[in-house]
Formats: sequence, C-alpha cells, structure tokens
Amino acid sequence: MKLVVIGAHLERVDIEPVAEALPVGDLWLSGMPVADDQPLGDRALLLRVAQTRASLLDRGTFIAIRYGFTAHASSDAMTKCAAHLDRWRRTLQECRGMVEMTLKVAATSPQARPDRHNFDSGAAYFRALHDATRAASIDPLFREAVEMNLTPLAVKHRWSNRDNASLEFALLVRAESVAAVNDAGAALKRDFAFVPFLLSGPWPLEVFADDHE
Amino acid sequence: MSDENDELGLLETLDHLLDRGVVIAGEAVVSIGDVDLLYLGLNVVLANVDAIIRTSQPKRIK
Repeated sequence: MKLVVIGAHLERVDIEPVAEALPVGDLWLSGMPVADDQPLGDRALLLRVAQTRASLLDRGTFIAIRYGFTAHASSDAMTKCAAHLDRWRRTLQECRGMVEMTLKVAATSPQARPDRHNFDSGAAYFRALHDATRAASIDPLFREAVEMNLTPLAVKHRWSNRDNASLEFALLVRAESVAAVNDAGAALKRDFAFVPFLLSGPWPLEVFADDHE
Repeated sequence: MSDENDELGLLETLDHLLDRGVVIAGEAVVSIGDVDLLYLGLNVVLANVDAIIRTSQPKRIK
C-alpha cells in the first residue's frame, strides 16, 4: 500500500478520521491509502482525493501538497519532506484558521498561445510563453473594483498572470470571512455582468504556502 | 444551469488539485491513458508549462 499525500497539517486531530495521518517530525501529513499498483490518473481516485481534500479543510487549515506525491511510510515521507518542515510549521502557525480563495478573470487582451513548432529551441518557446502570459491584461475598472471590494476582507492578496488568457486574484482570508467574500463576489457579478470571472474556494494553503521560503 | 455549475466546480477543483500546492521532491507519474500529465522527480518538475512559467515569476505582495 502507498499513501497519496494530500496535505501537511499542524495537528493530527485535523486529519483523522477523514484521512490517514502520517507523522513527519512534529507535523502530520494527510493521505489516502491506495494499492501500490493503483494508477494515480484514475478518475475515481482523483475525485476521492478532491472530496477528502475538501473535508479536511472543514477540520482545519493545511498546506496543500500537489497531487502526485506518494509515500510508503513515515520514514519515506520524512526523508522527502525534511527540508520543508520548518517553513511549513511557521506557515501553519501563522495561517491557522485561514483559507485561500481565488478569483480568475478572463483577459480582455488574450494573447495567442505560441506554437512549439514555430520555435527552434525549448528555451525560445518558454520565453514566448512567458511573454504571452505576462502580456495578458484585464479591464482596469474591474481590477480596481476587485481590489476595493475584496482586499479589505483579506489577510494577504496577490494578482498573478495565470496564462495567456487569464489573470488570478488570490486571497488569504480567515475562514469566517468566506461568506463575506462570496457576497462581495456576487456584488461584482451584478456590477460587472459583462466580465467573465470565477470566484472559488475555500481552498487549502496553495498560493501562499511558499511565502516563508 | 446547475449541471454547468457542477461541471465548473469539478473542473476548478481538479485544476487546484493538479496545478497547485507544494511540490515535494520525489517521484510520481500521473497518467491518463498513455499520456503522462505530471512527472515529479529529482527536484525537477515537469508540469503543465503554464504552471512552470507562473511559479518562475517573481512574487508580488501588496
């Protein structure tokens, strides 16, 4: 059996009985046990992990581990996670009781996605992708409204260019502020019905998980 | 409309699962059919290129 690792947690009680808890130093990893030969791309498994992830967030703040990391035992996980533990502990202590929310906005000036076949080298292709991503922009009035309405509800916030066609506003908020963020999102939907955007969450610590790096 | 919302929610959930969170040095191949979607190994991450570009951008905190 192997454990598909879902997150890093401060307290064991935040994990059990929703998922299996694996100690790593003074922290805990949550995971879902699966057979060694279980393909990780299995749709049913992906959905189970997604559901478990949501249930874990109901119990407490945790740092999301990107899907695909597995461990067979605590010693195995400890070897691979040792370099992260101090940073995770600081993040989890500082962000206890907080969740992330994200607002994705379609760019008003979506850039054409570069075609790999038009580039001689991978580096040139990556540079072109990077340029296309950085060049995407959104309606400045909408951006201003987002910042005016959502920033006061957030502990931290950050814009990032997602790809060549969208930008994202990520918020770190206290769990009790989620409803207020959703209300603010509904107000934005009314005021900017012509702007395609998606407000979603709550999510575990993803965007802000590396802030102590 | 409800089906559309459910589908959007599922897509968003899977996007977060596959594209976000801390990357651990290790090894795993996530495949659907014969297509490898994600490979983690030796501290090198080959994910979708948008994710790599995004994580290579300097962080800006307001």
